[in-house]
Amino acid sequence: MPAFLQPSSLSEAWSALKENEDVRFLAGGTDLIVLMRQGAVKCGAVMDVKKIPELSVFGFKDGALEIGGAVTCAQILEAHETEGPYGILKQAAVTLANSLLRNRATLAGNLCNASPGGDMIPASLVLGASVVAASPRGEREIPLKDFFLGVKKHVLARDEIVLRVVFPKIQGGGVYLKKRRIRGHDLAQVGVAGFYDGGLRFALGAVGPTPVLVDFGRIPEAELLERKAEIVETVAAEAKPITDIRASKEYRLAMTRLFAGRILDALSSCSRPLAVEEAAQ
Amino acid sequence: MNRQRIRLKVNGQAYDTLCSENATLLTLLREDLGLTGTKEGCGAGECGACTVILNGRPVNSCMVLALECQDSEVRTIEGETVNGGLSDLQKAFIEHNALQCGFCTPGMIMSARALLDKNPSPTREDICEALEGNLCRCTGYEPIIAAVLSAAGGEVNE
Ligand SMILES: Cc1cc2nc3c(=O)[nH]c(=O)nc-3n(C[C@H](O)[C@H](O)[C@H](O)COP(=O)(O)OP(=O)(O)OC[C@H]3O[C@@H](n4cnc5c(N)ncnc54)[C@H](O)[C@@H]3O)c2cc1C
Ligand code: FES
Ligand code: FES
Repeated sequence: MPAFLQPSSLSEAWSALKENEDVRFLAGGTDLIVLMRQGAVKCGAVMDVKKIPELSVFGFKDGALEIGGAVTCAQILEAHETEGPYGILKQAAVTLANSLLRNRATLAGNLCNASPGGDMIPASLVLGASVVAASPRGEREIPLKDFFLGVKKHVLARDEIVLRVVFPKIQGGGVYLKKRRIRGHDLAQVGVAGFYDGGLRFALGAVGPTPVLVDFGRIPEAELLERKAEIVETVAAEAKPITDIRASKEYRLAMTRLFAGRILDALSSCSRPLAVEEAAQ
Repeated sequence: MNRQRIRLKVNGQAYDTLCSENATLLTLLREDLGLTGTKEGCGAGECGACTVILNGRPVNSCMVLALECQDSEVRTIEGETVNGGLSDLQKAFIEHNALQCGFCTPGMIMSARALLDKNPSPTREDICEALEGNLCRCTGYEPIIAAVLSAAGGEVNE
């Protein structure tokens, strides 16, 4: 029977970590509580981190957008901060589960769950996000592209708490497209994010053990469409999908190509951004 | 088993009780407070039968630990009762045949209530989005959408 801990400061959290063994952090609980109830996760204590003030930040600091560990997908959808270039976070958040889940599910929880199909991951990767984590030993900032080690595995130690996710100052725009079987409660069969700000980046979800970032460096806008076939193939070459209950690997690969092409079309014409649901048909 | 003290308000009434550290909000409501209107379907965030309004937002109570709700305000289907009678939403559900077995109904109504609190004149699309997480195996959803639309329009009266 795990103990329940709810520190209201980081120093309280560090002393609770000393007094308890095998502690798991709890944000929205939409991954953790399901796993605990299924018996798939057993732990000595659950620490609700949402009352730690550092985790509630949501705003700009020195031009960079900071989203605290306790900020939910619903808050991301409601906020002005996540408009403009950061709007891709909204595009991703609206595809995550359903409106009930989004009232609990956090961005940080999605990253820390480290599922290959986590919807917030590709969008965060193309924005150049990094994760700020604290432990009794101090704080460190980890670029998100170096964060994932494998399916459900990341670089954080068991006593490191994600305080916030930081998105550098950025211009330009991005698109996230997700393919799933049904609306409401299905993980991605494929998730593709693309971003153009003079440089072109793609990130892929659900087509490998970890999400992947494909960075093309700077490409003049006029070349985006000229080089479409080559760019789409380069993106697809980074996809290493498997067949599982959600889709076959062939289907995943085909959808990765299709989405990469559609995203490129949307990014190169300053036309209206592609609606997520429309492309997901 | 370790039990901790929990204080919260449910449908405006203050409770001060003990609950086990791994109890969910759903088990607290049903087993400790005797409020069995809220249902457990899947117990895993898939169906929405357990929907309650927690501090103004509809959530799956099967995925919230009871102790996370310290000093919180919770609203459940029992709180829909107005002076012993049915609420506008409840009446609209009956009027539009928006329930058959009724198992999804408490959750549906709480999701719809949270929507109407925030947005008194929702569009059909707003309603579909708000009810996205609530599954119904009986009605085919159309009567439910009609019921919420009519409650919003104030068409269904005594
Ligand atoms: C029905 C259903 C549908 C779903 N659909 C989707 C979907 O469409 N797309 C999708 O991407 N996901 C989906 N999910 C998964 C889940 O909702 C998301 O991954 C969500 O973002 C997790 O966030 P959380 O705050 O609930 O995390 P929690 O469950 O609280 O935590 C998840 C993991 O991260 C760790 N953690 C949390 N916060 C911190 C922190 N601050 N520091 C260190 N570690 C931390 C926890 O210990 C745990 O291991 C779904 C889940 C359910 C139940
Ligand atoms: S019982 Fe909670 S979502 Fe199904
Ligand atoms: S009325 Fe039976 S599940 Fe909705």
